[in-house]
Amino acid sequence: MNPIKKIFDLLEHDFSESGNFAKLAPLFDATKTFFFLPSPKTRIGPFIRDHLDLKRYMSVVLLSLMPVLFFGMYNTGFQSGLARGESLDFWSAFLSGAWVVMPIVIVSYAVGFFWEILFAAIRRHPISEGFLVTGMLFPLTLPPTIPLWQAALGISFGVVIGKEIFGGTGRNILNPALTARAFVFFSYPVTMSGNVWVAGANAVDGITGATALAVTADGGTSLTAALADQGFTLPHLFFGLVPGSIGETSALCCLIGAAILTLTRIANYRIILGGMAGLILTALLTWLLPGTYGTWADAGPLYHLCAGGFLFGITFMATDPVSAPGTNPGRWIFGFLIGFLTVILRVANPAFAEGVMLAILFMNVFAPLLDHLVMKHRISKRIPNV
Amino acid sequence: MEKIAPSKGFKLKLAGMPDTSVIRLSRPATVGVSALDIPHIRPKLLVKEKQAVKTGTPLFHDKRDPDIRYVSPGTGTVKQIRFGPRRRLVEVVIALDGMDDFVEFDPVSPADLNSLSDPDLTDRLKQGGMWQTLRQLPSRDTADSRSTPPLIIVCLNGNDLFSPHPGRVLEDKIKPFEFGLAILQRFSDRVIVAARKSSMDRLEPVRHRITHQVADIYPAWDPGAILYHIKTKAEENQAWYIHVEGLIRMARFLETGRYPVETMVTVTKGHDKKPHMITRLGAPVRLLAGNFSPESVITTGQLNGRKVDPDTHLGFFETTLNILPDAPDDEMFGFLRPGLNKPTVSKTFLSCLVNKEVQLDGTLHGEERACINCGYCETICPVDLMPSFIMKALHGDDIEEALQLGLLDCCRCGLCSFTCPSKIELTQILSLGMDTHHKDKQG
Ligand code: SF4
Ligand code: SF4
Repeated sequence: MNPIKKIFDLLEHDFSESGNFAKLAPLFDATKTFFFLPSPKTRIGPFIRDHLDLKRYMSVVLLSLMPVLFFGMYNTGFQSGLARGESLDFWSAFLSGAWVVMPIVIVSYAVGFFWEILFAAIRRHPISEGFLVTGMLFPLTLPPTIPLWQAALGISFGVVIGKEIFGGTGRNILNPALTARAFVFFSYPVTMSGNVWVAGANAVDGITGATALAVTADGGTSLTAALADQGFTLPHLFFGLVPGSIGETSALCCLIGAAILTLTRIANYRIILGGMAGLILTALLTWLLPGTYGTWADAGPLYHLCAGGFLFGITFMATDPVSAPGTNPGRWIFGFLIGFLTVILRVANPAFAEGVMLAILFMNVFAPLLDHLVMKHRISKRIPNV
Repeated sequence: MEKIAPSKGFKLKLAGMPDTSVIRLSRPATVGVSALDIPHIRPKLLVKEKQAVKTGTPLFHDKRDPDIRYVSPGTGTVKQIRFGPRRRLVEVVIALDGMDDFVEFDPVSPADLNSLSDPDLTDRLKQGGMWQTLRQLPSRDTADSRSTPPLIIVCLNGNDLFSPHPGRVLEDKIKPFEFGLAILQRFSDRVIVAARKSSMDRLEPVRHRITHQVADIYPAWDPGAILYHIKTKAEENQAWYIHVEGLIRMARFLETGRYPVETMVTVTKGHDKKPHMITRLGAPVRLLAGNFSPESVITTGQLNGRKVDPDTHLGFFETTLNILPDAPDDEMFGFLRPGLNKPTVSKTFLSCLVNKEVQLDGTLHGEERACINCGYCETICPVDLMPSFIMKALHGDDIEEALQLGLLDCCRCGLCSFTCPSKIELTQILSLGMDTHHKDKQG
């Protein structure tokens, strides 16, 4: 028999109802099922079942986040090198970035799991795989210089208030990772505002760098010129070699993630396409408006698409099935309105440039309403059977 | 001939499609009449153990309508009356004698059919143990003889993916089939005959009788799914249906005045291609199944059947057995493997790139979790339901909302449970909801 399996079988008793560590049973269970996919026999029909389970489901989301994560590490190192006037080769940039990013990820997972286990133990339900994704999404939305205690506080808020008080995975209204991020944003605006610190080697005296969305044009120049001035040309924004939150800078990596999620049908493409359509159409409209010269209204769809966290948000956050609508027309509208609101927020409120986070949270709240309307329409089309 | 081509349903290719050759099994030592596959029935026993019975002697009836009888498919003595938990009748087992002795009725030839009045015809079918082959949607209860059905659906294919080929069932039985259709016409002006596309090859002799051809996607040939796709108004929901085996037996009963005891069954076993088998109604499961490992699960349909105990007999309506191999051990890092040999309707395993026949085992492949609203159940439901929404309505005890969302259109095909990554027993939850509603309505 497999030696690891043996260890689990040996320990099983201690974590059972009567064992010494009965309270930690969910932790034991989570660890064991991580190593050995459980396959209980089907008791009732259908007697055969699909191989897809929630562990696999969430693993695919994690997989799709890998390009974003690795690029985020590299970019963090690259930007800090740039700020210090050193040019780093690929591996030293990657490693120095990883040195900054990994602690944030680890803190997010460690603190988040603490809460998960606590609630699972109290409620006696298994630890949900959903946290694997939340714990990774949250750090990717943070600037690399975030103090670790803020990350810890943020993820605690996200897990406890964003999810557990609603009853755990599957019952939350808001996306937990975004709830966490919004909490940090509103509580510690200085560390999270448009100007982020670029992680230095000794992060103490890092150097501030504006993110693209914080750029405004002075009278006379156009916004695109001002962006280019500061190094935010379209190709830079697309490939992501610019300062910003860890995971959001590279449009390309987000698109790779979106492709993985769409091809495996884990994320619903309707949300992503609807979101892009909403953003592009609204950006076109504001672009055509007269008298907006030099503001984000004048940026045009491509800049709106590539700058800031829109692609990250629409790919990984908005597609969270639990907090998004469950009906297909609902998903289109949901996505579209997120795109729409993102542009509107960016244009209307230059002091608070990152609109996508609020747009998604706002639409999360309206998702049940969208579903309700769609269902009403569907019911009216069905031939009644009562 | 109309074509029904629903886009949703089960598209994996499961291994085990039976061979279309036919063998005749030897006479079994026992036969049984199972009460487990008869929905909604409240059986009342009419015989005792050791009592001698003829072929056609009533064994139990339905308390809700004592005229509806379930009769013995053989001559001999009642060997055992088996009860399950809460004294629920499981089956009545008859030890067969060497010769058949029939309960005799006056034969009715096709030409005489019209001399029989409607109540006489109904009564004759009830007495003979044939009426219950007619069933009524949406509850799938025995057809209510006091009502007039808006239409009757004749299903040439059985519930299961591997039910007997109708071409084989109908072979040499074209006359009884025609007579059966004439009988149904006495109950409704609108009789629909539906067949799977892949069955059409052997159905040439009855082709002119087939009104609807359905796509080869499970469960497109289920009466509930057919009705969903053809109905135009609410009244049609109360349609009746009958499977071709039942129809032929009904016709033969009238024509001969004797209870017909032969049936055709298929057995599905991994990559074996077993032939179709002719045997007696209620034959012992062991006799049909042949050799199987003690760990395997035997069902009367991988997706929508029930689990059968190998020591019992095949049910009243059942024509197929599926033997699922025993499950392998828990797999190390199962969720990380690329999964070339892990069939799935999702696109999360490499297996979705290869299109070959697969054999699934009887395990969940995961553990139950909360619904994550992923929508997989909706994308597969053949009657366009949103099972997760209905489940939530039922959990909130809101039967009204569940009904509005189309609960009664559910044909219990099992696909939503099959596909749910959170391993929620959706089909069971919906079935219970439907059954509770049906019971409440009956009072
Ligand atoms: S709800 Fe489930 S069981 Fe019912 S028809 Fe749809 S997929 Fe089949
Ligand atoms: S497939 Fe399962 S988890 Fe997904 S929406 Fe349906 S019930 Fe919920």
